[in-house]
Amino acid sequence: MDRTQDQADHNGGQIGDGEAGPTAARLLLGAQLRRLREAAGISREDAGYVIRASGSKISRLELGRVSFKPRDVDDLLDLYGVRGGPARATLQALGGQSNAPAWWHAFKDVVPDWLEDYLGLEPSASLIRTYDVQFIPALLRTRDYSLAVLRLGPGDDDRTALEQRAGLAAQRQQILRRPDPPRLWAVIDEAALRRPVGGPAVMRAQLKHLIQAVRLDHVTIQVMPFSAGHAAAGGPISLLRFPEGGLADVVYLEQLATGVYLTRPAETIDYWSALNHLATQARPPAAAPSILRKILAEDYAASEHDRTER
Amino acid sequence: MTDHLPPAGSPSLGSPSPPIDKSVPHSARIWNYWLGGKDNYPVDREVGEKFLEVYPGIVDVARGVRYFLARAVRYLAGDVGVRQFLDIGTGLPTVDNTHEVAQRVAPACRIVYVDNDPLVLAHARALLTSTQEGACDYIDADIRDPGPILAAAADTLDFSQPVALMLLGILGHLSDYDQARSIVRNLVDALPSGSYLTLSDGANTSAARQEAHRQYAGTGAVPYNLRSPEQITGFFDGLELLEPGVVPVSQWRPDPSPFGPPAHVDTFGGVARKR
Repeated sequence: MDRTQDQADHNGGQIGDGEAGPTAARLLLGAQLRRLREAAGISREDAGYVIRASGSKISRLELGRVSFKPRDVDDLLDLYGVRGGPARATLQALGGQSNAPAWWHAFKDVVPDWLEDYLGLEPSASLIRTYDVQFIPALLRTRDYSLAVLRLGPGDDDRTALEQRAGLAAQRQQILRRPDPPRLWAVIDEAALRRPVGGPAVMRAQLKHLIQAVRLDHVTIQVMPFSAGHAAAGGPISLLRFPEGGLADVVYLEQLATGVYLTRPAETIDYWSALNHLATQARPPAAAPSILRKILAEDYAASEHDRTER
Repeated sequence: MTDHLPPAGSPSLGSPSPPIDKSVPHSARIWNYWLGGKDNYPVDREVGEKFLEVYPGIVDVARGVRYFLARAVRYLAGDVGVRQFLDIGTGLPTVDNTHEVAQRVAPACRIVYVDNDPLVLAHARALLTSTQEGACDYIDADIRDPGPILAAAADTLDFSQPVALMLLGILGHLSDYDQARSIVRNLVDALPSGSYLTLSDGANTSAARQEAHRQYAGTGAVPYNLRSPEQITGFFDGLELLEPGVVPVSQWRPDPSPFGPPAHVDTFGGVARKR
């Protein structure tokens, strides 16, 4: 409850200071309103009537799919018997926050539609679990590595747009530097560390960056060696877990030109389970620094060519 | 051509982790469910729900044990000044895990977690991470065989200095009471004078709980044996029990509350000092 109140005390969804983005505010408010409605024994249809909408609109609101009008929140709280006090103020503030511009708004032109919800949710997570097969996880990339990945992908090759997208990637990483950061638990396939994305110099800097990152208390890296048994994970997986008990885990599966979100526990469980299997088969976190140094030395030792490049 | 990393199961890394069995309910994941966590499979939730129907008090027990652990560790690290903890039967991470409570009091505390479940170990290694000043280590071992636990723990803990041994809700996994007692004695014998034992275990003080455990034993999960408060007290033989002795865990030095004394729970525990 403290956290909800804390979110409500701020406005907007700036990343980097521990606040929920608007997506999470919507989800939270929706979940709370559903609980209040059910506790009051009121049907979706009856609730919809009060805000001049259908029962299915109430469904969408409660699922956090659409934003809330302040007046609708007021009317629903009246109907559910939340007449005053801190609870009402918190929920009203959440409603206001859910309409605030997202932190990534400045990058709107370059944010692919499918990534918007993920960017809104990520800063609210207390635990981010990832599995990456081909690339370094987005939250741990250097700027040059990000640029190299972006050049490989679809989308604008225009230099300004690329720079902007790299800027977005850097902004996204700020959550790891805030005072109360989420924990990142990343399983990275050995292939992602060996594949020379952007060339040896970029990879050298990237691996050094990872070696620094694992020193942080809240960053855990496990490397999945080529030789280890493999979960049938297919592609990369991200799982977000939120501190509020009422919010289900969100699984995000990024593909070439789209992203898939799973929020129903029946759908997310297989990915949670795959992440568990990967974590038990990958090398333990304590081994990460030496593995990263080994790959750095084996694959990316500075050559004459690299040195003259500088 | 560079050589690749050795497999997870190569000798330098210990034995390979067995796969997680999703079809068999597991106590650590069921406890996680009772504590409101999300790290459990449908089979765990199903067994956990059935247990709750017979014995709803298990939620108070699960929470009560976590609070007991936090109060005991706070006392040991804070008032007594113990800096080393050996926590056997870690379970899945929750709030206020042993190292978090201890290192909040003294960041240099060193903690060794021991469990034999691959899911628990993977979570512990990833999430139960130490402060820079202190240390956490994780041992894959079974309490039935204390020798390897003590040998591996010596890499992190200095057995010439006091150690707080934590055995919370684990001894019931051993069906034989005498065997359980002798394991406790073996572990305590390895600790120097001035060490502590914190122990709690499910008690046979309620018919509903006994019935719930009887049904639980038929689910395929490792059965959990309830014991009498006298038997639980017997685990502390030869040690100096601190006040208030072996009591329902909720009543072990409870934090002040405006709502009066805490409710009884059917899990008993205490803290004792080795002379």
